[in-house]
Parts: sequence; structure tokens; C-alpha cells
Amino acid sequence: MSWWTLLKKELIAILTNPAIMVTVFGGTIFYSFLYPMPYAHQVAQEQKISVVNLDKSQTSYQLERMVDATPQVKIATRAHSVEQAKAQFLAKEASGILVIPEHFHKDLLLGKSPTLSYAGDASYFLVYGTVVEGLAQASGTLGAKAKVAKLVMDGEPMALASENYAPIHLNLKPTFNPKMGYVDYVVPAVFVLILHQTLIIGIGIITCEQRRKTGYWSQVSKAQLLSARVAAFSGLYLLITLFYFGYSFDLYQINRLAAPIDLAIMLVPFLFATSFVGITIGRLVQRSEQVTLIVLLGSMPLIFSAGFIWPVASIPSPIVWLSNLAPSTPAIMGFLKVNQMGASIAQVKELLTQLWLLTAGWGLLAWLTLHRQQRKSGNSMPNA
Amino acid sequence: MSVLTWLPILLVACLWWVFSHSIARDMPIGVVNLDHSQMSRQMIRHYDATASLSVSEQYTDTHQAKQALQSGDIYAYVVIPKRLSQDAYLSRPPQVSVFVNSQFILVGRLVNAALMQAQGTFNAKLDAGKVLAKGDATPTQALGKAVPIRSQITPLFNSNTNYSQFLISAIVPAIWQIAIVVSTVLILAAQVRETGLKGWLGDQPVRKWIATLLPYATLFLIQGMAFLYWMFIGLDWPFHGDFGVVIFSQLLMILACMIMGSLFYFISLDAVRAMSFAGAFTAPSFAFMGITFPVTDMNVWAQAWRTFLPVSHYIEAQVYQASYGASLLQTLATQLPVLGYLVPAAMVASLIDKHLASEEAQ
Repeated sequence: MSWWTLLKKELIAILTNPAIMVTVFGGTIFYSFLYPMPYAHQVAQEQKISVVNLDKSQTSYQLERMVDATPQVKIATRAHSVEQAKAQFLAKEASGILVIPEHFHKDLLLGKSPTLSYAGDASYFLVYGTVVEGLAQASGTLGAKAKVAKLVMDGEPMALASENYAPIHLNLKPTFNPKMGYVDYVVPAVFVLILHQTLIIGIGIITCEQRRKTGYWSQVSKAQLLSARVAAFSGLYLLITLFYFGYSFDLYQINRLAAPIDLAIMLVPFLFATSFVGITIGRLVQRSEQVTLIVLLGSMPLIFSAGFIWPVASIPSPIVWLSNLAPSTPAIMGFLKVNQMGASIAQVKELLTQLWLLTAGWGLLAWLTLHRQQRKSGNSMPNA
Repeated sequence: MSVLTWLPILLVACLWWVFSHSIARDMPIGVVNLDHSQMSRQMIRHYDATASLSVSEQYTDTHQAKQALQSGDIYAYVVIPKRLSQDAYLSRPPQVSVFVNSQFILVGRLVNAALMQAQGTFNAKLDAGKVLAKGDATPTQALGKAVPIRSQITPLFNSNTNYSQFLISAIVPAIWQIAIVVSTVLILAAQVRETGLKGWLGDQPVRKWIATLLPYATLFLIQGMAFLYWMFIGLDWPFHGDFGVVIFSQLLMILACMIMGSLFYFISLDAVRAMSFAGAFTAPSFAFMGITFPVTDMNVWAQAWRTFLPVSHYIEAQVYQASYGASLLQTLATQLPVLGYLVPAAMVASLIDKHLASEEAQ
């Protein structure tokens, strides 16, 4: 059988297998719409807070208005006491509390630096961060204003004073994801993992199902079978990747900084290595549903150890070594750097080398498992 | 059957290990110092001294720093302009620019906050120093002039803003949900493989179906209680409510997961396809739980999908009890939607009947 006929048979076997079709095409397309869904609003804004104003001065009302005007928070309710605010908080009417102390205005004018208290629900980090950020911003602005007013009172000209409220200005610029949007954060990384996981499932299922049967796959050499299978799946996944990195990223307006050729340079070893992982797993498990099981349970650890959620330096090294055996870990970092952060291929050459090493390693493993099992089935055939 | 026992525990242990540092420390940042004055060096030391940052590299120009940021060596770089100290002393406030990698939002936010805080204290120091230098103020007055408003920030319910506590208490139920749904599919598939559909269900299909799954439900409940024990008693994370309510809600979640798992299996009676469905259903549930991204900011479709996921109802009960110590009634109200799983349960019953009938016809 020529290699091309083999490839054609592989493709037919893939496209006529309903379980594989459900995962590879149904799964990827379903996920491409489902996964970004919760984050469609990108940033959490206008979080409701409750204000306890114990001062009731003009300045304190001004602060309230300034707080309300920030995009992060919105004053939903007022409370007369901290206890009442707490009750409102428990009733989910507010997700943060701002307490303006008594004599706030007076202390401010006397230069006694009064203390504002904020509280936010830290069980939900994003909400907490947003509320605190908004409150801190508003009080910072009011603080600057108070300072400017005092400088003007001390006789400094207004133009100078309004510049002079801080000796050094800090200008923070979010880079690569200027909106600090959640879709731009999660989707590029998770999509790589989805490609990785569904590819393993697809190729694992076909490898596992063919194990005990005979067919076109038993008439060819292992090297031929491996190369044809990897080529068939890589070809299909090239199409899916085009859909993901092209259509989906465009739909969600995610950065696409890399040139197509750079993406292809990353993609080829990634797809090869992942296919070999799939073949190895498919050969080692007993029944094909176990492939899905392994992949499913592996996804959470893989995503959290990939280094884009939690800094790699803070992850214990044994976990880092383990996670680097999966092609998804270097691939996620590589694609993020090339496509989202605009790095050149030269800047990710370590990751690229790692992907090729993984291709070689898993390829060897796949070849060995195929070898072992074929010999075993060859021995048991005459007895049966 | 290893799925039932040690696999979820191993996974949870792994993830706990990932976040075991619980607070990210010494995240590398770079500095481009164009000033080379005493003040700029002092400022760099000030950044370096914060718990979350460490100045790992100094670059001679911004191009190098940008490359380092792109290749992920550093999470941010600070550009200190020429004549920083001169301008600061002459009251011509210089502008220090910081480029923070916001692709990694969590890290980006931490770096952002740490830099802002460091700069704030550094500014206050400079200001107070300037006021004191004039010689007509006491240190307290100087501070009052430098920092007109002080603020006290209190994180409620997770007092040391501990990331492992925040993420793990949500990841564990998500993994648990995957384990229950997937095991249900595997249990049913194993049962049918051994005895056949007819031999297993016989003439009392629904009763047999429940009888098969019930022992496993107990097993899962023990597992769930073990997780609770480990998180809130073993690791001593704050828990303000009633364990009974949380365990009751765990029971509801187990039943809901088993109903969904059965539904996936009885749709096709094919374990492989059922597993694909189970995967599609459970794998992305962490994103929908509303812990990392608030539910109120999700769109209608996301909220609708969320209500289908058993774990999203459970997590509310857990947060209500563990964090808020809310009353029994308030918590139970969040569990009402679980009744909706009676619909898929009815679908399972009718699917069983259909499959039995078609088998008899053959």
C-alpha cells in the first residue's frame, strides 16, 4: 500500500468515526463559542458598593460623587452605620463598603490626614480588586485636590500647584492587553489547550479502537502508520487552528501580532508532539473512553501550571518539570509570546527547541508502544 | 474504578501544590535608569524592597527592556527619565513610565499594585523630607502635608488575600464535578458491558438504575466531606457557617451530576461518545462558576449555561457558608434551582424505556 493510499484510508477512518467527529469538530467549535462567553464583558465594572458617611460634610459628599464617577464602582446604597452596611453586604446589595470617618473634612483641612476605610469581599478576587482600585483612585484624586488647595493657600500659583501634588508621577501603562480584558487573557491560552486536548482524544480513540482489530493498519509498517496518522491529524488540525487563530480571534478582537509563517513554525512541532502523545496514550489504555478520561482530568492541572495564571517561579519545580512534558505548556507560552506579545521567533527559540525535543521523545515512545503491542498481538494471534 | 478514589485526590493535591506559595513573591521587573542619580538608585532599591517585586535586571535602553518583556523574562519595566532628581527637587514633577505586561492579568495586577504602593510611599518620603527641610513643621505635620488622606483597606472573608485559598476552594469542586459525571458514565458502561441492558435493568428499570448508583453516591459524599475537612479544618481556612448545610448541598450536587452523567450515557449507550459529552459539559465549568470573573458581569447566555452546571449551585452554598456565615434559609434559597434536574432525570427514565423497548423489538 502506498503512503498516499494509507493517508486517504486514515482520513476516511477519522471522518467516519462518530466519536472522533463529535470531539474533534463538534468539541472545538462548541468550545470556541462557549469558553469566551462568561468573559464577554471583558472587565468587571460598576461594582456596587455601600457608603457609610459619618462626616456628612461637603468634602465627604464630594468624595462620594468622585467614587461614583469612577468606572470601577457605583454607589448602590447608603448606610447609617457599619453594621447596617454589613447587613446590606450579606444581602448581596453591595460588594464593598466605604467608611468616611467623622470629622473627615475638618481633619483634612487641619492636615491631620484622616483615614478612609474600604472593605471588599476578597473571596472574589476580581470584584475585590476592582472595588479597591476604584476607591483608591477616588481618594487619591481627592487627596491630590486637597494638596493642591493647600499649596494654592500657601501662595503657590495654581498652574504650578496642580502639577506639584506629587514629587514624581508614576505613569502605568498596561502593555499587550491594554484593556486588561479577560477574553484577551484567557482565550488565547485556553484555545491552545483545547487544540491539545481534543487532538489527543481524537488520535487516542482511533489508535485504541484499532488495537484489537485488523485492517489496513495491520498491513503497513509502524513508521508508515505513524507518519500517515500524524499527517492526517495535523492536516485536520491545521484547518481548526486557522479557524481558531483566524476567525475566532478576529471575532473576539484578540491580538494577532504574529506573521502566519511564525505561527506555522510553532504549530508544526506542537501538532506533531501532541499527536504522538495521543498515540502513546491510545496504545496504553484498555478502552477508548479512558483516553477522554485522562485528558479531561489532566486539563485543570495543565492550565494552572502553564504559567500564564500563576508565575512559574512561584510553582514548585517538580510540578514545573512534569507540566513541561506536555506539549501544551511550551506551546501556550510560545503562542502567547509570539501572537499576543509580539515576540520574534528568535525570542522563543528555547520553547521551540523544547517542542521539537518533545516531538522526538513522544515520537520514540509512540513507536515503542506500537512495537510492543504489535508483537504481542502477533504472538497471540496463532494461539487464538 | 480508580477514578473514584485516588485520582481526584491526587489531582487536588497537585493543584494545591501549584498554589502552595499562596502569595506571589519577588516577581522579576526590569529598570531602565537614564538618570543615574542617588535618588533614582534609591527608588530602584525601594521597588526591590517590596515583597512582591524584585528588580532582576537593569537595561541601558528601552529597546532591550522591551525585548525582555516580550520574551517573558520580566513582568514589567520602569523607565526612569534623565534629570529625575533635579526635576523632583526643583518641583517640576518628572514622569516615571512603567510598562506592565497585562497579558497575564493576575500577575499584571499584582505588579501594578505593588509599584503604585512603592511609588506612593517613596513620594510621601520625599514630600515629608522637603517639608521637614524647611524646618517649620513636626514630623506628623509633615506627614499630613505629604499624605492628605490615608486609607485603610480591609479584605473581608479572605483576610490575607490568599490566592491558594481563593482558587483551590473553587477548583476542588470543579474537579469533583468532572469526577462524578465521568464516573457515572463509566459505572453505567461497565454495568451494561457485564450484564447487558436487559439483564441489568429488567422490569424495574428506574429502581435498578437508582440502586446501582446509590452506593457510589455515598462514596462521593465521603470524598466531598474529606475535601471539606481538609480545606477548612486541616488547612484551617476560615469557615463561618454550618457544615451540615454544605454537606446537604454536596449531596444535591452529587445527585445532579449523576443525573447528567446518566443522561449523557443513555442518549447513545456509547461510552466514548458519552464521555465526549461529559467532557464538553464539565470541563469549562470553572470559568462559569463566577469565582474568577463575577457572575453579575456575565451575559445572559453565560448565565443561562451556568444554571445547568451542578457545581455553580454548590459553590454558592459553599461561599455563603464558609465566607459569609449566612443563615440556613438564605443558603437553601440558592439551592432551589437544583430541583430543575428533575427534568433531565425524567428524560433519563424515558430514554431507558426507549432503549429497553428497542432491545426487546430486536
